[in-house]
Amino acid sequence: MLKGMTRLISRVHKAKHGEQHEGQHYNISFQDLKTVFSHGLPPRFVMQVKTFNEACLMVRRPALELLHYLKNTNFAHPAVRYVFYGEKGTGKTLSLCHSIHFCAKQDWLILHIPDAHLWVKNCRDLLQSTYNKQRFDQPLEASTWLKNFKTANEHFLSQIKVQEKYVWNKRESTEKGSPLGEVVEQGIMRVRNATDAVGIVLKELKRQSSLGIFRLLVAVDGVNALWGRTTLKREDKSPIAPEELAFIYNLRKMVKNDWQGGAIVLTVSQTGSLFKPRKAYLPQELLGKEGFDALDPFIPILVSNYNPKEFESCIHYYLENNWLQHEKAHTEEGKKELLFLSNRNPGQLERLCAYL
Amino acid sequence: MAASAVTAVRGSSGLLLGVRSVVLRLPGLTQVRWSRYGPQYQDPQIDKGYYRKPLAALTEEEKYERELRKTQVIKAAPATRTSSVFEDPVISKFTNMMMKGGNKILARSLMTQTLEAVKRKQFEKYHAASAEEQATIECNPYTIFHQALKNCEPVIGLVSILRGGHFYQVPVPLADRRRRFLAMKWMITECRQKKHRRTLMPEKLSQELLEAFHSQGPVIRRKHDMHKMAEANRALAHYRWW
Repeated sequence: MLKGMTRLISRVHKAKHGEQHEGQHYNISFQDLKTVFSHGLPPRFVMQVKTFNEACLMVRRPALELLHYLKNTNFAHPAVRYVFYGEKGTGKTLSLCHSIHFCAKQDWLILHIPDAHLWVKNCRDLLQSTYNKQRFDQPLEASTWLKNFKTANEHFLSQIKVQEKYVWNKRESTEKGSPLGEVVEQGIMRVRNATDAVGIVLKELKRQSSLGIFRLLVAVDGVNALWGRTTLKREDKSPIAPEELAFIYNLRKMVKNDWQGGAIVLTVSQTGSLFKPRKAYLPQELLGKEGFDALDPFIPILVSNYNPKEFESCIHYYLENNWLQHEKAHTEEGKKELLFLSNRNPGQLERLCAYL
Repeated sequence: MAASAVTAVRGSSGLLLGVRSVVLRLPGLTQVRWSRYGPQYQDPQIDKGYYRKPLAALTEEEKYERELRKTQVIKAAPATRTSSVFEDPVISKFTNMMMKGGNKILARSLMTQTLEAVKRKQFEKYHAASAEEQATIECNPYTIFHQALKNCEPVIGLVSILRGGHFYQVPVPLADRRRRFLAMKWMITECRQKKHRRTLMPEKLSQELLEAFHSQGPVIRRKHDMHKMAEANRALAHYRWW
């Protein structure tokens, strides 16, 4: 039992995280939060960061396992797919963010889609795609994603050069050999072409990561949205399949393992998914036949509830920050009750401690 | 059919019938108007510590009391009363008053969101304040809640008394429970009616609770208005006969 040593003062490389650090918290600097995690952290975690004035993640076994695999990847082989799965509130998104932070510190290029479910529902403006008449564009979402991608990977955008000429419309085009940053700028400024810009970025990164200039990490949260159903409809009220959305079409090509020089880390989640039962958490159930066949083979990593050590560590962290204000929460009785009420589920525990 | 079932239950408790139709005004026994339990029904003992005491540690009175309870009829414990260490009767009462249409789940979630909002606001203030001020800032949402309601309780109230064909507002001392009820009622009505339609209840309530905690805000003003009216009408105080 770790008493009083829940904080890891490791501002250094996350490469130093090992088995003995399991259950302890480590700090993420505000600089990293603004660049790497401008999108992608769960909203309750963002609230917690704002309240405590610090971002602390717990080092847990699934993330450690993934970091071990990432450290020993062979970049000559095709990209391996890792899928985090687990019940609601167990910490899949935060494990994904942990691995993203590790890779950012190791200077990989991070391609992070914060929640794929947001792309297949509640879209106000669907445009018919300019590139392919059969598909649909989502200008708003694409431009926000491009902005966040730019803040995350500033220094790479000037180094990578496009290998083809792209014509946007009668007056604008991007020449061969110009930096990728120009494509991103074009997408942000001309919102109509944003989805196409995203498609170009994905294609170029996939092509060039095999050359070995940079390492690419593709991180998608809620990847089961790519193969499910959408709630979007055409003007004649007929439903749209996911492959008719240009972004989803390009993203599916990205998570195929036919490129080298990086890794693909995915999460399947039921929260936010469409037309899936609440209790479903296994990849087979959430991805469906089509998705499972497309992603096969992959390495599944189960994210489960806290074990007793991690639970103690979490409570200790809250006590250190004075988050548990109720007098009875400090006692043994209170802790036993929290354990019972939350069933050691991280999400539930966080919600319980919020009002105690 | 429901009535006959109730009378059957009453009749089955043996010689001691829980007859509520005959109103027994025994001194010292407060009666609840709508309770179907007779006066001989005892309140349930929820406290876990009471039952966990080993037999050897009990004194003679406690042993006698336990034996006595075996012979008495006990009311059913309501679903809201738990043996949780975090249970608070004031919070439960407030939640019940906020509830609409029996939707306790919604009322309870609003209550927890309010407490969370109060806590987060206080934490923000705490981190922004200097070292001396940090000692004065209270971060516990429960103490803030209790103190705010205590600050809102009126000391004296007004009652309409009919005299000579006219109703007069007569100042009258209020019982504890009436005061607590009025404080909670004013707080809830203030949040529901005087605020903008689109703001959410936790937001409104947390703001009102914090203002009342510092003895400012509209609920405190309403309490003072009540006091001023009572002071203005103090000539009518002799209309009260109890």
